[in-house]
Amino acid sequence: MKALILVGGFGTRLRPLTLSFPKPLVDFANKPMILHQIEALKAVGVDEVVLAINYQPEVMLNFLKDFEAKLEIKITCSQETEPMGTAGPLALARDKLIDGSGEPFFVLNSDVISEYPLREMIEFHKAHGGEASIMVTKVDEPSKYGVVVMEETTGKVEKFVEKPKLYVGNKINAGIYLLNPSVLDKIELRPTSIEKETFPKIAAAQGLYAMVLPGFWMDIGQPKDYITGLRLYLDSLRKKSPAKLTTGAHIVGNVLVDETAKIGEGCLIGPDVAIGPGCVVESGVRLSRCTVMRGARIKKHACVSSSIIGWHSTVGQWARIENMTILGEDVHVGDEIYTNGGVVLPHKEIKSNILKPEIVM
Amino acid sequence: MESSTEEKVVAVILVGGPTKGTRFRPLSLNIPKPLFPIAGQPMVHHPISACKRIPNLAQVYLVGFYEEREFALYVSAISNELKVPVRYLREDKPHGSAGGLYHFRNLIMEDNPSHIFLLNCDVCCSFPLPEMLEAHRKYGGIGTLLVIKVSPESASQFGELVADPVTNELLHYTEKPETFVSDRINCGVYVFTPEIFTAIRDVSSQRNDTATLRRVSSYEALQPATRIPADFVRLDQDILSPLAGKKQLYTYETMDFWEQIKSPGMSLRCSELYLSQFRLTSPHILASGDGTKSAIVIGDVYIHPSAKVHPTAKIGPNVSISANARVGPGVRLISCIILDDVEIMENAVVTNAIVGWKSSIGRWSRVQAEGVYNSKLGVTILGDSVAVEDEVVVTSSIVLPNKTLNVSVQDEIIL
Repeated sequence: MKALILVGGFGTRLRPLTLSFPKPLVDFANKPMILHQIEALKAVGVDEVVLAINYQPEVMLNFLKDFEAKLEIKITCSQETEPMGTAGPLALARDKLIDGSGEPFFVLNSDVISEYPLREMIEFHKAHGGEASIMVTKVDEPSKYGVVVMEETTGKVEKFVEKPKLYVGNKINAGIYLLNPSVLDKIELRPTSIEKETFPKIAAAQGLYAMVLPGFWMDIGQPKDYITGLRLYLDSLRKKSPAKLTTGAHIVGNVLVDETAKIGEGCLIGPDVAIGPGCVVESGVRLSRCTVMRGARIKKHACVSSSIIGWHSTVGQWARIENMTILGEDVHVGDEIYTNGGVVLPHKEIKSNILKPEIVM
Repeated sequence: MESSTEEKVVAVILVGGPTKGTRFRPLSLNIPKPLFPIAGQPMVHHPISACKRIPNLAQVYLVGFYEEREFALYVSAISNELKVPVRYLREDKPHGSAGGLYHFRNLIMEDNPSHIFLLNCDVCCSFPLPEMLEAHRKYGGIGTLLVIKVSPESASQFGELVADPVTNELLHYTEKPETFVSDRINCGVYVFTPEIFTAIRDVSSQRNDTATLRRVSSYEALQPATRIPADFVRLDQDILSPLAGKKQLYTYETMDFWEQIKSPGMSLRCSELYLSQFRLTSPHILASGDGTKSAIVIGDVYIHPSAKVHPTAKIGPNVSISANARVGPGVRLISCIILDDVEIMENAVVTNAIVGWKSSIGRWSRVQAEGVYNSKLGVTILGDSVAVEDEVVVTSSIVLPNKTLNVSVQDEIIL
C-alpha cells in the first residue's frame, strides 16, 4: 500500500524550533514528528511513503535515508515548485501513488498527532465501498474549523461547512484520508483545496464516508498545541504501552525519558514531560508539562513548566522557566534567570529576566 | 620619508561568523551579515574598496568563521571587479580579534608586507587608510588606531581612550567603561607593523600569570573554563590596554562620520552615510530624475541598473533599490532599503524600512516606522519573501521570512 504525507511549507507557526529543522523533523515525544506517522503507516502494511514538500528537501532527504534503512520502508519526496494547496500534491505524486493494484492509499496531514487507527480505517473503507474515507474528530468549538456534516449511522458525508456561524455539527476534518486511486482522476494538477473542491464533488456523488476518530487528536503546528498534544499523547501511551513510560519515586504522572538521558538526585519530574536523547537533568530539578529536546542540560535546582527547551540548550541553576517559554536550538539561560513566556531564537544567551511574554531575536 | 617600492601592504578584514551578530537578525537569518547590502553594495565591499586606495596593496584577506562556500562567490567576483586579490580565510574556531590575525600570520607575512591594516567589517566610515599609513610611518610605533570624538554619553558603548594631544601617542585604553574616561573612542580600524605578531604571542604566553580584574557574571564564573584559551586573544583588552603608554601605539583622528552596523536599523543609517559620500566621490552612481522620463528622485538615491521604477513614483531621500526590484506607479519611497526582486505595487508607501529579498508590497499598503535607528522596532524590517497584502499597514514591526500579512500590525515581532 502507498501513502502520501502532506508536509507543505515553512512551519512558521512553530518558530523558533523550525528555524533549526524543517517541521516534520522537529521532535515530538522524543521522535521526529513525521516518524510517528511513518511508523503507524508501516504497521498497517504501507510499503512506500511519499512526502509532499516544498521546503528544504536536502535536509529532509538526509534524514529519510536513515529512516528508510531502520524501518525498511521506501520513502520518497514529491517536491512542489509552487504551493499546490491540499489536493494538488496528490496529483503531483500520482505516478508514485498508483501501482496498478487498485488498492486505496492513505493521505496524512503532517501536523496532526493522533492514535492512527489505520487498520480500523481500512476495514471501514472496505465496508462502505465508497470512493473515499475521511477521519473526523469531535471538537468543542467547531466554528474555528471546517465542519463535516454527515449521517450519524452510516458516516456518509453530506457536505463541508467552513467555519460555520450557526451550529451544523461538531465533527471536523482530522486530516487523515483513505482514497481509491480513482480520486486522482478528479484532481487537476494545479493549486487545489481538497476540502473545497475534491471532497464536495465526491460527497455529491455519495462516495465520501467519515469515521469518527477514536482516541486523541491534536494539530501540533504551534507551541501551545504542541504542549497540549504531548499530554494527550502520553495519556494514550499510558493506556496502550505503559512500559514505555518512566516510573520511579521522582516521577509524577506520565513521563517519557529517553534511555540515554540522565536524571540527577532529588528531582521531581512530571506530569506530561518528555526528555530527549543525551539530555542531562541535574539534581534538584523540577520539570512539569514540558519537552526537553536532544542534548539539552537543565542545571541544578532549576524549575521548568509548560515550556519547550530546544536542542542543546541549557537552563541555568535556580532558573525558572514557565508559561510557554520556547527556547530555540543552542539557547543558554543564565543562572537564577526567570523567563515568563519568552520565545528565544537559536544561538542566544539569556542573561536578564524576561518578565512578560516577549520574542528575543 | 619616501616609501620604498618594495614595501607592500596587506589588509585584513574581520568578518565574524554565524553565531556572533544575532543582533543583526532577522536580516542575518538567510545571509551572512558582511554580505548584507549597504548603499547598494555588500557591507564588506566598502572597506575592501577603501583598501584599494592604499599604495602598494598586495592582498586583502577576509578572516572569519563562516563556511567557505558562503564567501566563495563574492570573493571571486570582488577580486575581478576591483582588480585586487581578495581571499577568505576561515578560522576553525573563534580566536578573538587579535587571535585571528595571529592565527594566519604566516599567510599574511608571505608577501613580506611592511604594514598590515586590520579593519572590522561592520564599521561604517570614510576609511582614511592612506592618511593613517602616512601618520603611522611618522610616529614610528608598532600600531596606529583610528579614533573619533563622540558625545560623552555614548562613549561608554565603545573602547574609550586617551591620547597625547601633541605626540598622538595612545596613553590609556579601556573597553566599555562604567565611568567616564574619555570622549575619544576606538573606531576599529588599525595599521600595524609586523611586530604586532610578537606582541600577540607574548600575551598568549603571559596569560596564565596575569590576574585581571574583570567583572564576570555568575553564569560565566561557573563555566569550567573561565580561563580563556591561550589562543583566544582580544585586541582591545589584551593588546591595546597593556601596551598603552609605552610609546608603541599611536592614534589618528578622523573628523568624518563613523558608525557601527550592529542592528538592522543601523544599516539604514549607514546606507544614508555612504550614499551621501557617493554624492561627493562618485555622483554618477546615484540616481536622478524629474518625473518626465524617469521617477522623481529627491536627495541621495541608489537604483540598481536592472531595477524598474515607474516614472510616476517618487523616490528619496536615502533610498537604495537593489537588482531586479520593481517599483510600481505612484509609489513613494523614503529612507528605505529595497532588496533584490522585491515588487512594490501601485500607490504603496514605504518609509523607514528594510524590505527583504523577493517580498511583495501590495497596492495602497504602507510599511513604516519612526526611523529611530538604534531602537529595536525603530525601523520596520521585512525578511525574505514577506507578502504585505493590499491596503495593509505595517508599523514599527519586524516580520520574519515567508510570512503573509493580511491584517495591519503595529509594534510587533512576527515569527
